[in-house]
Amino acid sequence: MNGSLPIEAVLVLLVITDLLLLGSSRFRTCIRVVAVQGLALGLLPVLLHGAEAPARAWGLAGASMLLKGAVFPLLLLRVLRDTGARREVEPYVGYTLSILGGVGALVFSLWVGSRLELPGTALTGSSLMVPAGLATLLIGLFLIASRRNALSQVLGYIVVENGIYTFGVALVGGVPMLVELGVLMDAFVAVFIMSIAAYHISREFDHIEVDRLDRLRG
Amino acid sequence: MDGSWLLWALLAFPAAAALGCLAARTARLALLVASAAGASWALLAAAVAVAAIFGEPVSAGAGWLYLDALSGFHLGVLGLVFGAGSLYAWGYFRRELAAGQFAAGAARRFGALWSGSAAAMALVLASNNLGLMWVGVEATTLLTAFLICAHVNPLSLEAMWKYLVVCSVGVAFAFVGTLLVAASARGLGVEPAETLLWTRLAGSAGRLDPAAMKLAFVFLVVGYGTKAGLAPMHSWLPDAHSQAPAPVSALFSGFMLSAALYCVMRCLPLVEGATGNAGWGRSLLVALGLVSVLAAAAFTVFQTDGKRLLAYSSVEHLGVIALGLGLGGLGAFAALWHTLNHSISKSLAFFSVGRLGQLHGTHDLEKLGGALRRSPVWGAGLLGAMLALIGVAPFAIFMSEFQVLRAAAEAGEADPWQYLTMALFLLGLGIVFVGVLRQAIAVAWGGPAEGDKEADGADGGRERPALVDALLVFGGLALVLLLGLWLPAPLSEAIGRAAAILGGRP
Repeated sequence: MNGSLPIEAVLVLLVITDLLLLGSSRFRTCIRVVAVQGLALGLLPVLLHGAEAPARAWGLAGASMLLKGAVFPLLLLRVLRDTGARREVEPYVGYTLSILGGVGALVFSLWVGSRLELPGTALTGSSLMVPAGLATLLIGLFLIASRRNALSQVLGYIVVENGIYTFGVALVGGVPMLVELGVLMDAFVAVFIMSIAAYHISREFDHIEVDRLDRLRG
Repeated sequence: MDGSWLLWALLAFPAAAALGCLAARTARLALLVASAAGASWALLAAAVAVAAIFGEPVSAGAGWLYLDALSGFHLGVLGLVFGAGSLYAWGYFRRELAAGQFAAGAARRFGALWSGSAAAMALVLASNNLGLMWVGVEATTLLTAFLICAHVNPLSLEAMWKYLVVCSVGVAFAFVGTLLVAASARGLGVEPAETLLWTRLAGSAGRLDPAAMKLAFVFLVVGYGTKAGLAPMHSWLPDAHSQAPAPVSALFSGFMLSAALYCVMRCLPLVEGATGNAGWGRSLLVALGLVSVLAAAAFTVFQTDGKRLLAYSSVEHLGVIALGLGLGGLGAFAALWHTLNHSISKSLAFFSVGRLGQLHGTHDLEKLGGALRRSPVWGAGLLGAMLALIGVAPFAIFMSEFQVLRAAAEAGEADPWQYLTMALFLLGLGIVFVGVLRQAIAVAWGGPAEGDKEADGADGGRERPALVDALLVFGGLALVLLLGLWLPAPLSEAIGRAAAILGGRP
C-alpha cells in the first residue's frame, strides 16, 4: 500500500517512546521523549495522504509539530527550572514493573485491535494504527495515575492526547479542520494551564507532589 | 426566520464582556462589568431561547451552530442561573473588596473567566457539530479551573488540580467517543465536513453502524458523565464545589453539570436510533443514575460541611436526571423539568450558604446553627432551598421526582425489573430526605455552637440585607414553590417540545 512503510515507522517510534517514558527516571529525558513523540505524530496526517497531501494536512502537521515538539517542551522545562522540582520522576510503581505493564498494555491493544472491526481501519493502510493509539492512550493514563509529581501528570496528559490523536487518525482519517484546530487549541491551553497550576502549587506548598495534596477528603 | 445573528451575538457578547473586564482599571469596575454584562446577557439568552423553542430552530455558520427546543430549553436555564449568579457575585465580592481581600488582578481575572465561561457554555449548547460541542466542554473546564482558586490558597489549589486532571482526562474519553461516532457514520456517505453534524446524524440515525455507535456511547457517557459528576466518576466534584467561591459553585452545580449531561442527551437519540430503539443506551443511563443517587445518599448523611453537602446533593440530582432520561417516555419530560428545578434550588442554596459562610467565617453546618435568627434572609434561603432539594412536598423538585417515579412505575409494567429501579430510587431519596432534614433543622433553628461570638466574625454576623439579596432569595423560593403548585402551559409546552427530541412524550 501507498506509503505504509513510513507510517509504520512512525507508529513503531510511538510505541518505543511510550516504553522509554515508562523507564526513564529523569524529567528532562521524559520531556524530550514526549517532544520526539509529538514531532513523529505530527507527520502522520501528511504521510497518510502521500505526496499529494492537501494544504490543510500540511498546515495541521506544522501547527501540531510546533506545539508538541517545541512549545510544550520549552514550557515544561521552564516550569521544571522555576519550581526547582526534583530531577527524578518518583513513580509509585518501579521502572521495570512499569515497562512490563506497558508491554502488557501493548499486547492488550493488539488483541483489541485484531478484534475490533472499525469502519475506518481499511483506509489507513496500517493495521498497527489502532493498537498503537490505544496503547499510547493506556500508557498515558498509567503515567497520570502512577506518578506522584504534578509535572509527570502533565506529561501523562500529553501522552493521552497523542494516543487519542493516533486513534482518531486511524478511525476517521481526520475530522473536520476546524474541530482539529479546536482540539489542538484545547490541548495547548490545557497544558499551559496545568503548567501554571503546577507552578502555583509548588509556590504554595513548597513541592509539586500530588500525593501530598490530600487535605480534602470525604 | 433568519435569526442567525442572534446566535453569533449570544457567543460574542460574553467574549466581549470578558475583554472589557480585562481592560477595567479597578477591581470594582471589573466586577461591575462582569455583573452587569452577565445580567443583560441572561436577558438575551432568554429571548433567543424563547425564539428557538417556539419558533423554528435557529441555525448559523453553515449549519455548525444550531439551536432547537432541547438546546433552547437548556439555554433558558443557563440564562436564569447565570443572570442570578452575576447579580449575586456583585454583592458577594463587594464585601471582600471592602475588606481588601480581593486584589484588582484577581478581580479582573475573575470577571474575564466568569464572562468567558458563559460563552463556552453557550457554545456547548449552540453547536450542531459534535466535535465543536466537545471543544466547548473542554473550554468550560479550562476557563472555570481558575475560577475555583479565585482566592489562591493550598486547599483551593488542590481542588483545582483534581478538577483539571480528572475532567481533562474524562473529557478526553468523550473525544474518543466523538471520533467513534464519526466512524459509525462512514456508511452514510456524507461529506467529511458534515460527518459530525448532529442534524445529519439524527436524521439518519437508523443507518449508523450499531457496534461502533454502542462503543461510542460508552465512551461519551463515561467522558461527559465525569464532567456531569455522575458517580462513580464524581471524585473531583465535592472538592471543587466546596473550595470555589459561592457564585462559581452555584454556576457549577446550577448549570455546568447539566451542560455536560446535555451532551449525553444529544447522543442518546443517535445510539437509540442506531440500535433500533431497544433501550440499550437508556439502560446504561438508568444504571448510572441509580448508582449516583445511592452513592450520593450514602455521602450526604455524614457531611458536616455545608458546601460539600450541597455538592453531593448535586451528584444525587444529576443522577435523578440521568435516571429520568434512561426511563424514557414520561421520564424524559421529568428529567428536563428536574433540570430546571434543580438548577434554581441549587443555585439558591449555594448563594445562601456562601453568604452565611462569609458572615460567620465557616461553612460548617454545626457552627452555622441558628442561621434563621442570625441572618433571616440567607437563613430562610438556605432552609427553603434545602427543603426543596430533598423533595419536600409542595416544592417543584418533589413534583419532578414524582414524575420520574411514575415513569419508573410505567416502565415496570413492561419490564418487572424496573420495579427494582423504582425501589432503589425511593431508598436513595428516603436516605437523603432523613439525613438532610436533620441538618436543615439544625441549621435553621439549632442553638448557636460553642464559641459563637468569635465565629460570627467582625460584624457580629448581622447585616442589613440588600434589596437585591432579598429579591434573589425570595424570588427564587417563590419560583420553586410556584412551579411545584402550577406548571404554566407555555413552560410545559417548551419542556414537551424539548422532550420530544429525546423521544419522550409529555
